[in-house]
Amino acid sequence: MSAMDRRLLTHANWSLLFCTALLFAVGMVNLYSASAVRGEAGLRFLPYFDRQIVWGVVGLAAMLLTVLVDYRHLRVLAQPIFLLAVVLLVLVEVIGITKNGSTRWLNVGFTEFQPSELAKIAVLLLGASMLARRKGSLGWLDLFQVFGVCVIPCLLIFLQPDLGTTLNLLLLLGGLALYQGIKLRVFKVLCLVIPLSLPLAWMVLLADYHKQRIMTFLNPLEDIKGAGYQIYHSQIAIGSGQMWGKGFQGGTHHLSRFLPEKHTDFAVAVFSEEWGFVGCVALMALFCVFLLCIVNTARDAKDRFGSLICAGVFFYFFWQILINIGMVVGLMPVVGIPLPFISYGGTATLVNFILLGLVLNVSMRRYMFKSH
Amino acid sequence: MPIEVQSEGAGAPRHGIVLLCGLVLFLFLLFVLRFWYLQILHGEEYTDISHANRTRTERVYAPRGLILDLKGRLLAENRPAYCLALIREDCPDISATLAQVGRWTDTPLPLLTAKYEQDIRQVQPFQPQLLVTDLSFDQVMAIEEELHNWPGISIFIRQRRWYPEGPLFAHILGYVGEAGKEDLEKDENLALGDVVGKSGLEETKEKFLRGVKGINQVEVEAHGRQIDKFQERPSQAGSDLTLSLDIDLQRAASEALGEESGCVVVMEPDTGKLRALVTQPSYDNNLFTAKLSQKDWDSLIKDPRHPLQNRGIQSVYPPGSVWKLVMAGLLLEQKISPAAGVTCSGSVTLGTHVFRCHSTHGWVNMLQSLVASCDVYYYEMSQKVGIDNITRFATACGFGQRTGIDLPNESRGLVPSRAEKKRRFNEPWQRGDTLNTSIGQGFTLVTPIQMAVYVGALLNGGKIMKPGLIETEPPEVRGELPLTASQRDFLVEAMRATAESGTARRIARPDAVMGGKTGTAQNVRIGERRLKKHEMAYEHRDHAWLTSWGKKDGKTYVVVVMVEHGGGGSSTAGPVTVKVYEALFGPPVKPPAQPAAQAGTEARP
Repeated sequence: MSAMDRRLLTHANWSLLFCTALLFAVGMVNLYSASAVRGEAGLRFLPYFDRQIVWGVVGLAAMLLTVLVDYRHLRVLAQPIFLLAVVLLVLVEVIGITKNGSTRWLNVGFTEFQPSELAKIAVLLLGASMLARRKGSLGWLDLFQVFGVCVIPCLLIFLQPDLGTTLNLLLLLGGLALYQGIKLRVFKVLCLVIPLSLPLAWMVLLADYHKQRIMTFLNPLEDIKGAGYQIYHSQIAIGSGQMWGKGFQGGTHHLSRFLPEKHTDFAVAVFSEEWGFVGCVALMALFCVFLLCIVNTARDAKDRFGSLICAGVFFYFFWQILINIGMVVGLMPVVGIPLPFISYGGTATLVNFILLGLVLNVSMRRYMFKSH
Repeated sequence: MPIEVQSEGAGAPRHGIVLLCGLVLFLFLLFVLRFWYLQILHGEEYTDISHANRTRTERVYAPRGLILDLKGRLLAENRPAYCLALIREDCPDISATLAQVGRWTDTPLPLLTAKYEQDIRQVQPFQPQLLVTDLSFDQVMAIEEELHNWPGISIFIRQRRWYPEGPLFAHILGYVGEAGKEDLEKDENLALGDVVGKSGLEETKEKFLRGVKGINQVEVEAHGRQIDKFQERPSQAGSDLTLSLDIDLQRAASEALGEESGCVVVMEPDTGKLRALVTQPSYDNNLFTAKLSQKDWDSLIKDPRHPLQNRGIQSVYPPGSVWKLVMAGLLLEQKISPAAGVTCSGSVTLGTHVFRCHSTHGWVNMLQSLVASCDVYYYEMSQKVGIDNITRFATACGFGQRTGIDLPNESRGLVPSRAEKKRRFNEPWQRGDTLNTSIGQGFTLVTPIQMAVYVGALLNGGKIMKPGLIETEPPEVRGELPLTASQRDFLVEAMRATAESGTARRIARPDAVMGGKTGTAQNVRIGERRLKKHEMAYEHRDHAWLTSWGKKDGKTYVVVVMVEHGGGGSSTAGPVTVKVYEALFGPPVKPPAQPAAQAGTEARP
């Protein structure tokens, strides 16, 4: 057993772990600055930094737990976890806690729990396990089966309403399907149908404030005081960082409160202002290496299920990075999706670490097939 | 190891890995390009926007320069005044607060609301917006007591101009007021709520007195609340102004005039510096620095005695007989012998018109004509020199033009001429006009200050000085009298003789050398006989002039007194002049007989 353990440790994706640690550290340093505001008495700190440390520790523990159980058992567990997630999401609809017009939380005594976070893991696992059974490229039937099942939690989350998470889940599934491979004929049709159905989605699915956000994205200067305010000031903060940035805690724009949501969704704007273009390129490089580490494990996984899990985790992070930074730099409409490890957020951090645990799990066990 | 070779890549779809790698590359390129666009390509623009977004320029009050009298006593100072302001971001209920402010300060609510609405655009967030100025101490006490119930309201102190001497110097100092739209357009250094000189020296010496406002760069956060502040330029107080005027003399001259309308000019002939410039009636210029009520304004504007008028420089009067000093100068310049005489029979008839003298003087030469103020002499003599000479000479002596005193709206007066009459009345010049002009009647109009400058030039060697109000400014010579030294001396001597034994003898005093020339300027055409003062309506009464000089202890002063509708020059202006010289030289003392002998006897035991 000890020999096996040693082998597990040797094969673990240490570079991924290293990248994660680095990203988390960058996130913490940035959060330290982002949680401060300037007043006449100097800098005043909001308590996000300490809380995020606690969440980091909790996340690390959760990751270790995830690593311990061989991921192949998850193939069996995927369905129960999925069912649990759906039940909890239904419960949210019934007895959930409403904040800011959204019903997303369940009261579990000592804390509040967000079932949609569990749903992310559940959809990923179920999607991976369903796709892993298919041989070769996916046809219409395969796609309908996978999406038919997974669309249930998506709908429930959409009803909360939480467009960001819904979008994230659908894109994750789409990514998984692409990764697995779609029959060329099917792919061609989808390439036609999805863009054509967007206007329908616009009319049926989107609330007014979503439409407003998209209109604002298309013309941010129209409404600087209102909906365009975030985009406008986010770009000022980023742009004014110039080549070398204003230095740690030197981000005058965000410290003077011009940047709303600066510790959560717009955290990367704070980073850009303080570390400049050089810092941004370094951060992007770090994110890309991080993603490539996941790709590495996906490639080396010993079975399709493991590879699909890694791909799912890849897409989970990829879409968040793309949408969040895209929104902050003004390339995409404002959607409430945080940036992994950089944005403040407890449950999100926990889920991030659990998903990374899954990848590490796969990487550790990639050579054990023949040894037993 | 064979195991590892076998398992390598077993689970991964090959194109899937390519897809993932491609996405990573896309992500990297997309955002690096975008960051480059924002931070490198447009970085400086965004830096400027960011800077502009969070900094405000704040101007810091610069104290206005003080105005002092010759002896350094305050004439204009800055005094704290209590004002009430509102920071609207801190105020939960603006309309209720405004109503309360109205109750505290007895201001009608509509007025207050109108002011609030009007100024609201010009006030930055979190900046106090001025609502009421110049609260009384009782009001401040009452408001302070309730202040904690009204968030957003604050009482602060603003500097307000204060003139301790009030009416005594009102016309010279003028007053300040809030810069109006015109002021703001003319001068970009001014901002709303700034105070500028509106009249008097406050207006003409504005640049000197104002000083330079300081600039603070205030860093604000997104809501406009102040975070940090640094001084870019300290405020620079305006320069103090020391006047040549003397409060004591000014007061004495004012008291000498008493209730009469008129003016007193006291000038040092050598430098042109004014030692007193009194005009009466006056007004309290402190009324103007606060909010002048409509009632006060109306009473000033509608007062038949025109208290806002500075009679010394803005009012023009027929000079009457004091003009003879100018006419005599002209005759001398035209080489007419002072010894040449005219027989005064009490009147001169020209055509059908009779030109009267106030007496029958018999034979008079130039000196006697001045001492006795004989009109007939000038009726006769003026016909020899003609109007064109009068026009030229009077203009050369500084009449008909501004003296250049540092006060706004100075009058030019009027030197009559053919062209001028043609232009004004479209009538040709008549010989009778020349006769009227020769005795300072008719069209001729002068200001008292012009008269003082002329007499000063007779005494100082012929220099036409700019009347100076600022002690620290060097004297300014604006012209030269067209008279030789002996001609000037003749006129000075004639004035001395007039004060000694002529019409101005009232001002003679034993301890000083005095000279003078009286004038009684008619307001209405002289009828069949001259009416006595009490027989005429006030506004028809004559103006009383007395231009004089006095020398004592090496000091020489020119004093011009003009009493509007005062009647006779000697009887009305005389006593005023006497009191002014008493203030200048002290009460007249008879020179003690044989002072040396007395001292000798007392020294002996």
